Amino acid sequence: MAEKMELKSTEVWDGNYAAAQALRQAQVDVVAAYPITPSTPIVETYGSFVANGYIDGEFVMVESEHAAMSGCVGAAAAGGRVATATSSQGFMLMIEVLYQASGMRLPIVLNVVNRAIASPLNVRGDHGDMYAGRDSGWVQLDAFNAQEAYDLNLCAFKIGEDINVRLPVMVHQDGFVTSHTAQNVHPLSDDEAYAFIGDYKPVDEMLDFSKPVTYGAQTEEDWHYEHKAKQHRALMDSYVVIDRVFEAFEKKTGRKYKRLETYMMEDAEVAILALGTTVETSILAAKQLREEEGIKAGVVAPRVIRPFPLNELRAALAGIKCVAALDRSCPMGAMGALYNETCGALATIPAEQRPLVTNFIYGLGGRDFAVDEAKRIFREQKGHADVGHITTHVQQFSGLRGPKLGFYESKRS
Amino acid sequence: MAIRSVKNLKEFSTANERFEGAHLLCPGCAHSMIVRELMNATDDNLVIATNTGCLEVSTAVYPYTSWDTSWIHIGFENAATAAAGAEAMYKARKRKGTLKDPDAPVKFVAFGGDGSTYDIGFQWLSGAVERGHDFTYICLDNENYANTGGQRSSSTPVGAHTSTAQAGRVSYGKKQKKKDMVAIMAAHGAPYVAQLAPNKWKIMAKGFQKALETEGPCFINTVSACTTEWKFDAKDTIHITDLATDTLMFPIYEIINGHELNILYRPKNVLPVEEYLAAQGRYKHLFKPENRHVIERIQKEIDEKWEYLQRREEAKV
Amino acid sequence: MRGVLATDKRGVRELGAEDLVGWDEVTQGVVLNSFDIEVENPAFLRPEERPYSDFNSYTATVASWRVIKPVYNRDICIDCQNCWVWCPDSSIISRDKQMLGIDYDHCKGCGVCVEVCPTNPKSLLMFAEAEEPEEALGKWPEKKKKAK
Repeated sequence: MAEKMELKSTEVWDGNYAAAQALRQAQVDVVAAYPITPSTPIVETYGSFVANGYIDGEFVMVESEHAAMSGCVGAAAAGGRVATATSSQGFMLMIEVLYQASGMRLPIVLNVVNRAIASPLNVRGDHGDMYAGRDSGWVQLDAFNAQEAYDLNLCAFKIGEDINVRLPVMVHQDGFVTSHTAQNVHPLSDDEAYAFIGDYKPVDEMLDFSKPVTYGAQTEEDWHYEHKAKQHRALMDSYVVIDRVFEAFEKKTGRKYKRLETYMMEDAEVAILALGTTVETSILAAKQLREEEGIKAGVVAPRVIRPFPLNELRAALAGIKCVAALDRSCPMGAMGALYNETCGALATIPAEQRPLVTNFIYGLGGRDFAVDEAKRIFREQKGHADVGHITTHVQQFSGLRGPKLGFYESKRS
Repeated sequence: MAIRSVKNLKEFSTANERFEGAHLLCPGCAHSMIVRELMNATDDNLVIATNTGCLEVSTAVYPYTSWDTSWIHIGFENAATAAAGAEAMYKARKRKGTLKDPDAPVKFVAFGGDGSTYDIGFQWLSGAVERGHDFTYICLDNENYANTGGQRSSSTPVGAHTSTAQAGRVSYGKKQKKKDMVAIMAAHGAPYVAQLAPNKWKIMAKGFQKALETEGPCFINTVSACTTEWKFDAKDTIHITDLATDTLMFPIYEIINGHELNILYRPKNVLPVEEYLAAQGRYKHLFKPENRHVIERIQKEIDEKWEYLQRREEAKV
Repeated sequence: MRGVLATDKRGVRELGAEDLVGWDEVTQGVVLNSFDIEVENPAFLRPEERPYSDFNSYTATVASWRVIKPVYNRDICIDCQNCWVWCPDSSIISRDKQMLGIDYDHCKGCGVCVEVCPTNPKSLLMFAEAEEPEEALGKWPEKKKKAK
């Protein structure tokens, strides 16, 4: 039996360490992984737990990220709890198998420590890898700090393994800013954490020899479409379970999570919509602007990226004057993904309730996004709000050197 | 482990098939002969992973499966890793006591064609063998990407015509030698590596049993004559395989623990390779006068390889 | 032969001709179950003892692939099981070391069984698909003399 670890009520952990601790407490059966910056310490820390008797499960260090996810799929189909971690190029190499995992409805937990995608090569944090997972059929949870990286890992197992969900779950955190920054984290005890997640309940397991199962059959036009539609429905409907798990987690810890987090939105005129560590930066900027300049600024942040909280976003933004959707991934020839999701949500409410929506690309390859820049963006949105139309390009680049870069203008009549 | 008696065919034929008919492999395909024999060689439960390829697309086309054992296909390249993942899960659950029937004997097997074994899945296979998972990997080597219509693989032999290494006015087909996968896998230090052929059913069954019984990763390359892409009549699969083993185009041997080489079949009359080549459409062009030198090259390389294998066996190193 | 043929167990469905699937029939994760209920290791169960599910290809047929078919002559057969070991379609029905016949639902007519049959004359011969087995047996060749 694995040894338990005595934890203090407040630990100083970075995001990677917090994630590794959650995996240990979940008593994962198989971790198949391959190291890549900046997620490497998750795997290394887990390795140290293995080496010191804290893990009963198998730790399989494979030869690539593609193999890591392949091993996870094989292991998950064999009926146990499975997790791994990756970033960036490793995530890209995994992508083929991400779709296989979700198509086979295997609840694997993948920690994605967000990092930019080459070329040019870059090890710093942006959301390129996270965005590349958008259509892969996984539940995507986004942590904004180390505590949340820990909490959401515990929730991820409980959500994905729920009999009504049975889908793999990604837990995202920002590379370096979250993954390598030590912060106060309040963990549960080993027993409490495991009790919260519960035992793994096998479904269609390959190791139940009384019921042989075939995984990964081919389906052509007669069958493929219904399978994909059913999988989509499962992901769409998973919000019910996500809400239930977040409620249970709040009861246990007092820490409240919502599929769409909103900050100071009750009376907000202008808002920033963002993901990751930018959320905390924006909250700080909004607070300062409220105090210093009286701008009614608020922040909206999808905690759950898939299934996308469209109803909640629509409700949060209805009636405000202007919102800036911040995308930390270059959409390459289109508007940013968060911008598009936002416009899609707002298109379903009456025109007079719709705010103006602008799009900022920012922070690529780890370019810093500071409070001052968030304040500048809020002020600019306030300017649009005051005149009633977008006075800049609809899509702009924040914090970019060289001449101002922008695309599309609003059509006013 | 529950081994099936392979003393003689009558004994062996009492096995209860776990590979079902109405799969979609071509008539006369050697793949299913090999798969049936593997599954009939043991009574243990099996967890089988299969790479994308003829076997996979023919045996699990929704809504049908031809497998009476647990089976998984993920992608073209990763059956070895899928089997490894399942094997790791088995170990973890056995340790934790969460298996439904912890005493049921089980063997982990992965199948791949030469496309997925020699080429696209090479890294995944190498990694799984290096890590020492307890599984048996069986390559169904038909020397081309038959599932996609017969393109070259690194297992395609010199002189063979494939759709991407064609014979034509200025080409005699594939120019490069076949990759020596058996040597590569033996170099991994795998405890049991062999090259086997379905025409020698008893040698093959015993080899399979040895691999399944051996703890650790085992690799077996099996010659799988391809009626469609080698271009011979479906009824002649075993005849062509006889020619493959008796011309020594496919020598039958095993390598234990990476070094101890045993030849498992010595033809009484070694046939000239011409007989093997002449029986298949994919080598037809080699019989043109300007291409005869290729046949000579093939024969020379066969002779050298046989000499090498015999000396390795004698040397007992 | 009765009782051991796939035909006795199945609706004999033509591959590819099944009705379009409804929403409810689509299994979660594309998982297929080989059997309807829990079974002991099928290695210890004869096919006729197994609770095949409709997803098992055992319950389907590929008979339409065939243009010629093997016909089996029990009188000459020595039960060597060559045809059994090399049949690529699991279509030689053997029980208790005896060859019983051919599963025509799964046989694709490749002719391997005839080629590997060692008797003289052969105990298996290929005939046109339409040929009645009784008629085929009437046309069986005599023992061939060894060429000198």
